[in-house]
Amino acid sequence: MKTHYLFPNRFKTYGWIIFLSGFVLAGLMVSLDLEPEFLDLNIFTIAAQPNFMGAPEYFSIQENNMLAEIVGILLICGLLFIAFAKEKAEDEFIARLRLESLVWATYVNYIILAISILFIYDMVFFWVLIINMFTILLFFLLRFNWILYKTNKQMEHEE
Amino acid sequence: MKNSIKVERAKKNITQAQLAERVQVSRQTINAIELGKFNLSTILALKIAKVFECKVDEIFELEVSDWESK
Repeated sequence: MKTHYLFPNRFKTYGWIIFLSGFVLAGLMVSLDLEPEFLDLNIFTIAAQPNFMGAPEYFSIQENNMLAEIVGILLICGLLFIAFAKEKAEDEFIARLRLESLVWATYVNYIILAISILFIYDMVFFWVLIINMFTILLFFLLRFNWILYKTNKQMEHEE
Repeated sequence: MKNSIKVERAKKNITQAQLAERVQVSRQTINAIELGKFNLSTILALKIAKVFECKVDEIFELEVSDWESK
């Protein structure tokens, strides 16, 4: 089946490497409060609010430590590659499973977010928002691979 | 929709894996179709009929429940 919106199968491996390096960096960054000096850069911003109490500034140059940005991009690229690399045999059954899993993941993601909005507050909620940036793809991956695994198991059973 | 893929396979003595290869899909797909868990595309139905050298409706059959609104 021809699909134009998926990556070649080898991107699954690239994805895991990129995601895991992002994950390790994220862990180090959070646990050690890492802000390496060589990543203190002057960068172009579309919008920023350098002073907490001040007014937002648009299209300005700001100084920022770029580690968090790098980690975010690594996690996003990694997860996208893993989730949307073709399976070895990407056919119509897999395509339907992909669609179903994506809808399922969207529901689960927003149900959990809605519960968090009601029951989680202050800085903890800020962390929920950060984690929520990546959970839709994580839920998709869990569900998609779980069903694939179950189908394979069940086929072995029949042999 | 009912199907008789399993019976046809037995007649021709081919495995799920061999049929999957002939019609260019994964084994999971053939398995899911046999179990009635997946409604296949027209193209795939035509390919399967080609392999078994018969007409599509000799393998696939509508059921009453297919007419009920879902």
